[in-house]
Amino acid sequence: MSTEALSGLGGLGRRGHVIRIRGVTKDYERRQILRGVDLSIDPGELVFLTGPSGAGKTTLLRLLYAAERPTAGEIWIAGDRVDTMTRSELPRLRRKIGVIFQDFKLLRRKTVLENVTFVLRFHGVPPKEAGRRAYQVLKRLGLHHRQSAMPEALSGGEQQRVAIARALVYQPRLILADEPTGNLDADLAAELLSLLCDINYQGATVVVATHDHALLESLPARTLVLHRGTIDYDGRWPP
Amino acid sequence: MIRHSLAEGWLLLRSRGLVSPILAVALAIPISLAGVTVSVRQWLAPVVELGERESVVTVLLHPRLGAAERRSWIDRQAAHHSGWRLREVGREELAERLSRWFPYLEELLAREGPEMLPPMVEIVTAEPTGVAVLRDDAAVLAVGPTSSVNRMVGRVAGRFAVVLLVVAAALMAGALLFAGVWVHLELHRNAEEIAIMRLMGATESTVRGPFLVAVTAPALIAAATSVVITVVTVGWMARLAAPLGLTAAGPPWWVLLAEAVTAVVLPVAAAHVTLERHASTTGG
Repeated sequence: MSTEALSGLGGLGRRGHVIRIRGVTKDYERRQILRGVDLSIDPGELVFLTGPSGAGKTTLLRLLYAAERPTAGEIWIAGDRVDTMTRSELPRLRRKIGVIFQDFKLLRRKTVLENVTFVLRFHGVPPKEAGRRAYQVLKRLGLHHRQSAMPEALSGGEQQRVAIARALVYQPRLILADEPTGNLDADLAAELLSLLCDINYQGATVVVATHDHALLESLPARTLVLHRGTIDYDGRWPP
Repeated sequence: MIRHSLAEGWLLLRSRGLVSPILAVALAIPISLAGVTVSVRQWLAPVVELGERESVVTVLLHPRLGAAERRSWIDRQAAHHSGWRLREVGREELAERLSRWFPYLEELLAREGPEMLPPMVEIVTAEPTGVAVLRDDAAVLAVGPTSSVNRMVGRVAGRFAVVLLVVAAALMAGALLFAGVWVHLELHRNAEEIAIMRLMGATESTVRGPFLVAVTAPALIAAATSVVITVVTVGWMARLAAPLGLTAAGPPWWVLLAEAVTAVVLPVAAAHVTLERHASTTGG
């Protein structure tokens, strides 16, 4: 892996923000999901994004990793303007971000180990080294004994952990997690939270979208409450 | 990158089992039939040419016309009909032809002499039917033949050749449609995987490589199969046509080349278009 890829967010946004969003609006057909959202997140922050279902949490994360473009407004990630990026520029941005998807998005025809190693290929990591790193991350998540299993043979919680392993294996400096504890029991959720805290402690910026209040209460972190497409609250939880 | 594309493409192909070769043969069939059609059309080319050949129409002029009047009549006709080449056939030449074609006239011709024959003009033209207008000319005794069997056969063959081209075009359109649907379904089957790879930061070449390999391999099989089908079918038809006296050749090399290129280009182009559309609808 190149130094640049590892360091990931080399350039920071304006005033040193990792994420900077200004006046972002997102419409789906006639429905407005986000309404003029303004937000800045500094390097090394752990931020929870919460709110009721349909508040726009997932949409906001999708805009951050450029799976969608905003209807209006500006999005900056590590100094790069995301909303105007061309298609050929997107891979470079996405390789800087570790994304944990709500629906896991595992490759059905690949084993657990292959699901984790294949992202390292995009970073130019040689296959042997990629396998070693993937095994280490899987071991950390307690999944090394299932490395040869296919995703369909795993439980929901195990699939979730494979998705987490895949997001962490290239040590990104920005991690976006969409409901990462949604399929985990209380113990595993606590373990995951501890893992995200470790990563955050090591300097990575972590944004977690969740509606799990127990998770919010377990950590005194910055919390953003989205309601009807706008940020209603920005501070420590509980308000 | 190439190794990755080949390895992942092979995995995609293996996951499809026999489906890919079957699709390849299915694509090869319309392409090879189009090739056979074009080859058969090539056989018709000499017959079609008959329709383009010039015919000779004979015009018998009134015996009372003197040499100067005949000359003037010929010049007038040549001036009015630019596509006609007129030549007066001398009476001696006509007598010789008649005695050759109708030997029983030889004695009569010897007795009466060629002066008794009417003056004859031959008109060489691509449109013999047009010469029929001379039937109303007071200086003309008879005109004929204004139709040509060769020409008729040539024209029928020409129309048949056009029909064959239309059939070939329809078959190619079918092949295009087939390739489009095949590749579209293939992408649809792998759409989720491709979208995940893009979201994970894979470059377009990394995403497209395996998919293009998985499409190109059956396309190459389709190319080879279509060439084989065409060579075998045209050879078989040529053997059938030989006893009829038709000099039927094998498929022209350019037809085989065009088939092979089409069989590869159609699916690969369809893959490019489909991947491009997929990229633009899934946020790149």
